[in-house]
Amino acid sequence: MSRQWHTSEAQAARYAAGSLPEPDAWSLERHLESCADCASRVSAAVRATAAGAVLADVRAAVLASAVREVPVSRFARLLWAAGPAVRGAWSAALLVVAGAALLLGQFRGAPEARTLLLALAPVVPVAGVALSYGPHADPLHELAASTPGGGLRLALTRTAGVLAVSLPVLTLTGLLLPASGAPAAAAWLLPGLALTLATLALAPLTGFRTASAVTACGWLCAVLAPSPDEIGARLARCLDGAPAQSAWGAAVALSALLLAARRTAYDRTH
Amino acid sequence: MSVRVTGLCVRHRRTVALDSVDLELGAGVHGLLGPNGAGKTSLIRVLATVGRPSAGRVELLGRNSDSPRERSGIRGRLGYLPQEFGFYPAFTVREFVAYVAWLKEVPADRVPAAVERALRRVGLADRADAKMRTLSGGMIRRVGIAQAVVNDPSLLLLDEPTAGLDPEQRVEFRELLRELGTSATVVVSTHLVEDVAAACTEVTLLDEGRIAYRGTPAALTRLGETSDGPGDHPIERGYTAALRAHRARGVTDARETV
Repeated sequence: MSRQWHTSEAQAARYAAGSLPEPDAWSLERHLESCADCASRVSAAVRATAAGAVLADVRAAVLASAVREVPVSRFARLLWAAGPAVRGAWSAALLVVAGAALLLGQFRGAPEARTLLLALAPVVPVAGVALSYGPHADPLHELAASTPGGGLRLALTRTAGVLAVSLPVLTLTGLLLPASGAPAAAAWLLPGLALTLATLALAPLTGFRTASAVTACGWLCAVLAPSPDEIGARLARCLDGAPAQSAWGAAVALSALLLAARRTAYDRTH
Repeated sequence: MSVRVTGLCVRHRRTVALDSVDLELGAGVHGLLGPNGAGKTSLIRVLATVGRPSAGRVELLGRNSDSPRERSGIRGRLGYLPQEFGFYPAFTVREFVAYVAWLKEVPADRVPAAVERALRRVGLADRADAKMRTLSGGMIRRVGIAQAVVNDPSLLLLDEPTAGLDPEQRVEFRELLRELGTSATVVVSTHLVEDVAAACTEVTLLDEGRIAYRGTPAALTRLGETSDGPGDHPIERGYTAALRAHRARGVTDARETV
């Protein structure tokens, strides 16, 4: 359909000022219903008049009140930042480990179950970190890597999420299994933290998957191999007593220092 | 100049993606054209501070992107839509864009308004509370554009933003591009020559990691009008003509060095 005419700038200005003769104004309004170009021309002319400022104020006020109705909650933001691992399969795996330890405690006796739980527990947060950050774990990684907050800040936020879930669950499970000879239920906390921080420090060099494989396998090999029936004794050597725990404390401090020294490496993706 | 690139080389293992590229870009909409594998994505990734140059100097928004401290200042003023745009399907549109705003360190009190504005700009305000997994491909692309503009970036990098948009959405998107280009430097890589003709103020044509042509869309169209290369539209003929001229020059250069 061809149009006979379009609104001119002069006509739009006269319409906005209210000086256009009535019949012309009617036909102009009729035309605006079907012509987007002229409508935007006329609305620009109206915005240029004294009414424009009032309209802008009204618009801003309406938008501001509309926005206030739908705030993004702090809790929701924390949950997303906690990352894919906490929302996904890793949390299920964590519950399976805790549940299996409790079941084992029922059938094979508490000391053995607690020993196994303590042997596996330090690896759980390491796995959580590997599943939380990096190009293989996070569909948003390419985008996150281009933002100021997507480097170490995001990695640490996600690690904190993983620790906040795994530390209480595994320690409480350990407490539910009576000790009788096995190390204390909280004895794995420092080794777990040390392995997690070591993974974070190593990751910019090797990638998260390799880093977590190295630290997790290192721990498991030290505790489980070469003779799996002596786990109890080896674990006790690794975890029991002040010297062992302060050695782990030193490992935590060293890993943290290493991570702090290498923090800019998180700026670059692999 | 918000982008100043000199002698930029990018290598992926043994292949050379970009070969000593010199480029300066100021405010406006810059179209990045070229065949598949020409190096468009490699260039955009370097400009997004994600890809690492093997050689050369990259200055963005007046800062050196090689220094960690300056890089973080650049990143706060960047908008980036990657070619393969990943997202969390369980998020709502609003949550997703707010999450990116958080990553970009937009002050928390400004986030809700910034998200609202970004969604309105891409015409998705009415779908703000829909889950990402329920959206069509074109809508996801538009969410991608919304997250890129949520911090009002000074440098906006869009890799194939019109893929998956229907013709009407593409027209609206070009309108948005023109609006953004008045204040920011916008770099758009695309396969669609007509997007460039309609929305860009300048065209850069890449071929095999080198710059084959730079000019305005009008100049590329004129080149097409005077040449007899294949194409249905003058600017398409201009595109093929510029590409062929560049390749012919490459052959003569090679002969001279032999």
